[in-house]
Amino acid sequence: MSLRSREPLIFDRSVPGKVGLDLPKLDVPLPKDTRPAHLKRTSFDALPSCSEPDVIRHFTKLSLWNYGLDQGMYPLGSCTMKHNPRLNEKVAAIPGFADSHPMAPDATVQGNLALIYTLQEWLKEITGLAGVTLQPSAGAAGELTGVMLIRAYHVSRGGKRRVILIPDSAHGTNPATAAMAGYDVVDVASAADGTVSFEDITDAVTGRVKKGLLSVIAEYKEDIAGLMVTNPNTLGIFEHRIDEICKRIHEVGGLVYMDGANMNALVGVARPGDFGIDAMHMNLHKTMSTPHGGGGPGAGPVLCTAALEPFLPKPVVVRDTVKVGEGEVPHHTYRWNWDRPQSIGKVHTYFGNFGMLVRALTYCLSHGGDGLRDATLRAIVNANYIRKELEGIYNLPIKTATMHEVVFNDANQTKNDVSTLDIAKRLIDYGFHPPTIYFPTIVHGSLMIEPTESESKEELDAFIDAMKLIAKESEENPDLLHQAPVTAPLRRMDETTAARKPVLRWTKAPV
Amino acid sequence: MRYLPTAAAEDRALLDAIGANRAEDLLTGVPDHLKLHRALDLPATSSELEVLREMERLAGLNTRFAASFLGAGAYAHFIPSAIDHQISRQEWFTAYTPYQPEISQGTLQHIFEYQTLVCDLTGLDMTNASLYDGGTSCLEAALMAVRVQKKRAKVLVSSGLHPHYLAVIRAGFAAHEELKLVEVALKDGVTDPVDLAAKLDETVAAVLVGYPNFLGAVEDIKVLSDLAHAKGALLISVTQEAMAFGWLQAPGKAGADMACGEAMSFGNSTNFGGPYLGFLAVKDAFKREIPGRVVGQTHDLDGRTGYVLTLTAREQHIRRDKATSNICSNQGLIALRANIFLQLAGPEGLKGLAEQNVAKAQYLRERLLELPDWDVPFEAPYFNEFVLHHTGDIATMNEALIAEGILPGLDLTPYGHKNCVLWCATELNTRTQIEHLIEVLARVASVVG
Repeated sequence: MSLRSREPLIFDRSVPGKVGLDLPKLDVPLPKDTRPAHLKRTSFDALPSCSEPDVIRHFTKLSLWNYGLDQGMYPLGSCTMKHNPRLNEKVAAIPGFADSHPMAPDATVQGNLALIYTLQEWLKEITGLAGVTLQPSAGAAGELTGVMLIRAYHVSRGGKRRVILIPDSAHGTNPATAAMAGYDVVDVASAADGTVSFEDITDAVTGRVKKGLLSVIAEYKEDIAGLMVTNPNTLGIFEHRIDEICKRIHEVGGLVYMDGANMNALVGVARPGDFGIDAMHMNLHKTMSTPHGGGGPGAGPVLCTAALEPFLPKPVVVRDTVKVGEGEVPHHTYRWNWDRPQSIGKVHTYFGNFGMLVRALTYCLSHGGDGLRDATLRAIVNANYIRKELEGIYNLPIKTATMHEVVFNDANQTKNDVSTLDIAKRLIDYGFHPPTIYFPTIVHGSLMIEPTESESKEELDAFIDAMKLIAKESEENPDLLHQAPVTAPLRRMDETTAARKPVLRWTKAPV
Repeated sequence: MRYLPTAAAEDRALLDAIGANRAEDLLTGVPDHLKLHRALDLPATSSELEVLREMERLAGLNTRFAASFLGAGAYAHFIPSAIDHQISRQEWFTAYTPYQPEISQGTLQHIFEYQTLVCDLTGLDMTNASLYDGGTSCLEAALMAVRVQKKRAKVLVSSGLHPHYLAVIRAGFAAHEELKLVEVALKDGVTDPVDLAAKLDETVAAVLVGYPNFLGAVEDIKVLSDLAHAKGALLISVTQEAMAFGWLQAPGKAGADMACGEAMSFGNSTNFGGPYLGFLAVKDAFKREIPGRVVGQTHDLDGRTGYVLTLTAREQHIRRDKATSNICSNQGLIALRANIFLQLAGPEGLKGLAEQNVAKAQYLRERLLELPDWDVPFEAPYFNEFVLHHTGDIATMNEALIAEGILPGLDLTPYGHKNCVLWCATELNTRTQIEHLIEVLARVASVVG
């Protein structure tokens, strides 16, 4: 890439005496030092001294070692790497939004409250559910909020339920969330098509019996607080008996939480509220395209039924209609309602990642109801096109209809000692970000491909060609794949050493 | 629709290749009775210009203030221009969590540097790639303390903690019947050591104390940590205004075992409360119990230095219900803003900015106390926030200030401090702004008086 080797750590660029931020002249008297002596900041051991050009060059060079969405297809399954519209960034930076303060009086933030109210109305219509909070910071925070709602609901009815059911195909956050909310997790088996199995499943190899939904319900009955289900599931397959699942759980007094990580496959096509779902979250950083930012920030609004609404985190935004004179159009004012005696409390310091909510509403307004449905359908078309073109070349372990993502595995390549990891790394050499790999875990060596609606036919074809070429290489020259990537800034990393002898920060070399 | 790239002819080609007539035909997995057989009841697609106008209209409904004296966990500081330019690079803001280290070294090295700086500011050994915000960092810290301190299920929280942080901890603890949360009273604006000593026993896992606390007061965490340690409890310092790290001793060097809080002050707008930047730093011994993503240094096959996500055995995707937390995202881009800010500021810039904050707050306080209707409820060292008691009517005052384009300090009456106001001044507040504030307050006092 360049004659120069890697960009060093900034700490190795620091030269005492340099500054990257000049202070304004102090226009008030110098402060008196009121600190107790032992609470005075003594020194900094790492904070570097650099000029503005040093810092800009440092980060610009670092950025060049990253692969971004504008460089090419980023088909991370379940992560929904769709285009990030630039308008959304511009709108979030409007000073009226960006400089507003979370503790400011309601009357001075009417625009923010109207925005939150409006986005809530969009999400309610999209999901078919009656209650909503935008407070959770991310998908996992949304899950936790949802399970806390379920707990509060049972507690309010005097019930003490201990168990949350989770299909074994679930994302790891589901069981982690249930545990964080104080529940025991009970696995439910998946059927051959990856959907929740009603019947017990006997493993053909080990002979071990995994319990299906019916026997788990029969075993735990009134101890079941709820079930967490991802729909479409992590294989990109719609839970075709979702209404029946909800009915069975409701029969024993439990509630159903839907992980809406894959809601981008349903918007405008089907609504969880119509399935019988009691609570769910949406990842605005997936379905509504707020940027992933290299790991965050996200936003994980939770939707719920009217029965769960009293338990939502506080405050909730309220719209009041102001009556005006005869013949005039009434207008609305907005306020926070903190008087929510049954609320679970707070799940964020303030009102959630507001900047991401601004972007999400901008996305919604741009698409409109019709555009949102178009986006869903196009994402499904793109995934099915990839499935069609690559099936046979790559093994498709589960043949059920594909929604927005398709899961292959490396079964056709293992005979040449080529693994999913090798295929993924070779894709890097061809200019693509690899798909999600080794997840979902119920498929051995899975390659989970989600193209999203943002990819054109040309880009899809280029990706398909690369995948076909890699399959060919695995036959003819598997070592090419074992060595991959060779065009990236670095080759494969030693992750074992990183975990065994952790070096988690820079320290000054001893003098 | 401008964000959807396929032309009609290409759509046809895609569908033909799949063997479908219409896109809807691909929905065979969704039973018909579960489909939505109508259009969403929402407005239609809009152009960029129309959407921009509508969002500008909404933004225009917010009051723009010429000056703000409100902090309370959300601080307006100067943002160097380089930050917005840098984070707008697609390589930063469009990328995902760095799962593929070979093509994510930018994000990974940035996080490694960010982790180094958080350790430097807090005086602790290790940290993670960030948490959601101050409140959730407290919950994660408290839950972590209970994990580390096996057989101790009680957590003490100073009443001086940000009330919203306390609310987040309370909500998270509600699910765990075995966990107990007990408040420690304040005396003269800081945690009462007598009450703390009385409540400490062998069941207490940790004590959370604001540093500075919600009232702006600098707690003596050395004294409090000595008390906690004597009973085997950990001291967790909670900093809601990270700019104070430029002035106050690193909590890890003053006795804290863990430090958490909010670092939005480094390069971020107040953004109506988010996205912000939670942090949690701990002693080395606890590193395998920390929640969230962690980046570590390693090398590639050719021995070149590089960075990867590490210590993943703690995390939800491996451990599922036994994980240290359910968290999987972080506040990556906000951490990047903080990292760029700190590298620009450097040690001199950070100390200098912090001192200016102290100077502005001291000047503001002196000027307020020259007015007849303000007095001192308690004396404690403060950074850029302090509490004064008002003998006049706060609502009347606020109305007058807002009319003059000034965002007033926080009325603490709803938070248990009757007729008290939490005032904040940062480097953004000029002497002229402070004088304008005083002038308006004097006018209100004379009218009322």
